[in-house]
Amino acid sequence: MYLTISDIKKSFGVGESKTEVLKGISFEIKKGDICVLLGPSGSGKSTLLNIIGGIENADSGSIKIGDDTVENMNEKQLSLYRRKHLGYVFQSYNLISNLTVKENIEVGAYLGDNPLDLDDLLKTLGLWEHKDKVPNQLSGGQQQRTAIGRAIIKNPDILLCDEPTGALDYNTSKEILKLIEDVNRKFGNTVILVTHNDAIRQMADRVIKLRDGIIRHDNLNTNKIPAVDLDW
Amino acid sequence: MKNPLYKRIPREIKHDLGKYIALFLFLCITIGFCSGFLVAGSSLKTTYDESFEKYNIEDGHFATAQKADTKLLNEVEKDEKCTIYNLNYKNINIGNEHTVRFFKARDKVNRVDILDGHMPEKNGEVVIDRLYAENNGIKINDTFKADGKNFKVTGFVALSDYSALFKNNTDMMFNANKFTVAILTDEDYSSIDNAGLNYCYCWTNNDRNLSDVDRQKKSDSIKDALAEKFILTDFVARQNNQAINFTGDDMGGDKAMVTWLLYIVIVVMSFVFAVTSRNTMEKEASVIGTLRASGYTRGEVLRHYLVSPLLVTFIAAVIGNILGYSFMKDFVASIYYQSYSLTTFHTVWNAEAFIKTTVVPCIIIIVINVIVLTSMLKLSPLQFLRHDLKKNKKKRAIALPNWKFLIRFRIRIILQNKSTYLTLFVGILFATVLLMFGMMFSPLLDNFKDEVINSQIATYQYVLKAPLETHTPNAEKYSLTSLENDNEEEISIFGISDKSQYLSKLTLPKNKGEVVLSDGYMEKYGISDGDKIKLKDKYKNKSYTFTVKGSYHYSASLCVFMPIDKLNETFDLDSGYFTGYFSDKAIKDIEKDYIATIITQGDLTVMADQLDDSMGMVFPMFGGFAIVIYVLIIYLLAKIIIEKNASSISMIKILGYSNGEASRLYNFATAIVVVLALVISISVCSWAIKEIYYAMMLEYSGWLTYYIAPWIYPAILAIGIACYVVVHFIQTKRIRKIPMSQGLKDME
Repeated sequence: MYLTISDIKKSFGVGESKTEVLKGISFEIKKGDICVLLGPSGSGKSTLLNIIGGIENADSGSIKIGDDTVENMNEKQLSLYRRKHLGYVFQSYNLISNLTVKENIEVGAYLGDNPLDLDDLLKTLGLWEHKDKVPNQLSGGQQQRTAIGRAIIKNPDILLCDEPTGALDYNTSKEILKLIEDVNRKFGNTVILVTHNDAIRQMADRVIKLRDGIIRHDNLNTNKIPAVDLDW
Repeated sequence: MKNPLYKRIPREIKHDLGKYIALFLFLCITIGFCSGFLVAGSSLKTTYDESFEKYNIEDGHFATAQKADTKLLNEVEKDEKCTIYNLNYKNINIGNEHTVRFFKARDKVNRVDILDGHMPEKNGEVVIDRLYAENNGIKINDTFKADGKNFKVTGFVALSDYSALFKNNTDMMFNANKFTVAILTDEDYSSIDNAGLNYCYCWTNNDRNLSDVDRQKKSDSIKDALAEKFILTDFVARQNNQAINFTGDDMGGDKAMVTWLLYIVIVVMSFVFAVTSRNTMEKEASVIGTLRASGYTRGEVLRHYLVSPLLVTFIAAVIGNILGYSFMKDFVASIYYQSYSLTTFHTVWNAEAFIKTTVVPCIIIIVINVIVLTSMLKLSPLQFLRHDLKKNKKKRAIALPNWKFLIRFRIRIILQNKSTYLTLFVGILFATVLLMFGMMFSPLLDNFKDEVINSQIATYQYVLKAPLETHTPNAEKYSLTSLENDNEEEISIFGISDKSQYLSKLTLPKNKGEVVLSDGYMEKYGISDGDKIKLKDKYKNKSYTFTVKGSYHYSASLCVFMPIDKLNETFDLDSGYFTGYFSDKAIKDIEKDYIATIITQGDLTVMADQLDDSMGMVFPMFGGFAIVIYVLIIYLLAKIIIEKNASSISMIKILGYSNGEASRLYNFATAIVVVLALVISISVCSWAIKEIYYAMMLEYSGWLTYYIAPWIYPAILAIGIACYVVVHFIQTKRIRKIPMSQGLKDME
């Protein structure tokens, strides 16, 4: 297994106001799989994603990616870990407003030792004609595609997507999901996608459903359908 | 691969061009001026230092009561391993209280630098000091009248031993308006009146490389040797000669002052940059969170936000230095040339100036910004992503009394922007120091002149060469000698007649050893009634201790007053001895050959006049500089606050607030802080400047009464508020431009 998550626990607050968000999460993901983390608000899926991404610490448990173990890392090692293994896509794009599409993607390329070809990627993302535009000249979908480009260009082992379609309309959401699928197919990255949209489970190789900090279902999806055929 | 984030820098600067141009220009001009000051000062100082060897400047001089015997001088030369030169001069009063000191041409010692024209080649020609000529509008080929003769001015010179035109070494200040040195042909020199003849000689040590300590020992030894053979009327070692040293000392002091001024400005600007960058980081928190989550290190993000301030400072420093070496250097040199009789200077490459004006400012900018931004970057990527930028999450909002909504709203804005307002306060405090400094000196000098005139003992104060009687009604005898205090400052010792009509308010003590001090003397050295003061004889190894029995308001110099008989007794002088007369009328029955000098009102106010002349241009510069800082600091920081609250402003507009109401809410918070900062700064400055002034005056001879004209305080407040009003209008315009859509967009 490429990603092994063992007994992750996390709580917030102290004393009476202490809330246990993750109550011992364990699962494994194969390299190149698309894993969808499903669950309602407050189920702990984003917290889990942040712990995998090394931007939040677990109270206990361990995460292993390849040969790297996350929980023993200091701040600098965590930065290198994220640099080496991870690409992040957020719901709210978080693009740099005064850089063009191409330059925003270069921000990601800078972090990789062997980044993907920028022009190829721009074409794959359907952003070639928009490459010299700044974010406020783009639609939401185009901005999210740029954010995916920024995450993917360094060819990370794992692409972490936190509600990537949360701010988009139906058609644009499907476009983005298709893009994630294409990227996964073309570059072989493992994808962990957090969503509360139940329909998205159908495009995953693996579906993990969380509720109240525990895994309710952990299924391999044998009837995987392409993102373009998703409907909700 | 080059960090692509750097591509943002030019766009960032272009986006906020107004702010960066303002900061750049301010830094550029400040650094340019300081660089010019340091380069010019250093070049002039190098020229000045080199002049000792180049012009063979004396190691000291002395005057004798009568012409010195050459044989005896030769003995001193041989015993003390020095060379003595004749440096006789004649002081001629040319009217309007102007004095010319005529010398013969010198080619061996204290040589002359001819700055324009040529030296006198035939009788009837004269060269005079360049600065005096400029101050009095004298041109080459003009006729210069002295001692009833007309001389043609053939050149302007700088005498290497008169870089500061001190008439007497004991004068508090040089006087380039009313005193000049001049050189005549030998024949012309001989032909002018001998009344003002001084038998002056100077020496140079055979070993010119003596250390300061050894040179002091040597001059002490020469003084002792001379005192055995001659009656000395004056003895001034080079290290004590104000006409030679004042310029060099002043240049050194200016350098330190300018350097500190620059550093304080850079520190204030560093905080402005830091607050600006912090604000940008708050705005870009999501981006920073994403970058950090993607693997960008803290260092990479920090370096990115350091680039703009550093780049602006560095370019400003480089261009400032170019200005410093060109235009500013000449400008600053002209300020020095307006004060001193300097020889020709050449520009010297100054690594120290480069380090002080380029390297150090960049280091200050880096250090302060690193400290401020690092504290913010300690937040986790997640906190940036969530815009959760407060370190102490549990911190509750400060409870405010149930005041009016508007008041509470403004207080919240002030609390929200504490660090920004703190920077604003520091900037205003610093600018207020400069402004008060710039505004206080002119009234201080005027006040001093008034005090000197009001406390003048008599219309005429005659100093005689020998005690001669006069029949002039109301002429009153006095004795005068001088001693030195521990600070090597000369103190005048007046012996006053009992029941003096000129010092009627002075109550003289009856006992020997008891004295009254001038109030300036007591103020300068913190002496109180009943204290004992110890003074020493400059030429003899003898000291005197006096008990202070009161003070007397006399501003012209630092003085000790005692009864004339007690003075004569204390200094082993004949009973009935006196030095001169106080008189309200001119004394006409004593021949002018016996009159050493007549001190009038003009002589007493010379220091204030000279300071006004040489520094008059500098004071308004301080004021102007301070006003620029006021406007710049208030503008930049008020802009940050408006930008930071743009969403909120947009939202309150959506709720129905007008532009004016929004402006009153946000801009008035800044107005409150500005006015408070001004009031506090004025109070702090009036205390701080007094302390600085007292410390500063200890470095100078004499005492200028500390005085800040009462109108200065409200004037500073008014100037500060006026600067704020200018900024207020700009910020109101900015608020008007904030679209209502921004609040909705940010909410999404």
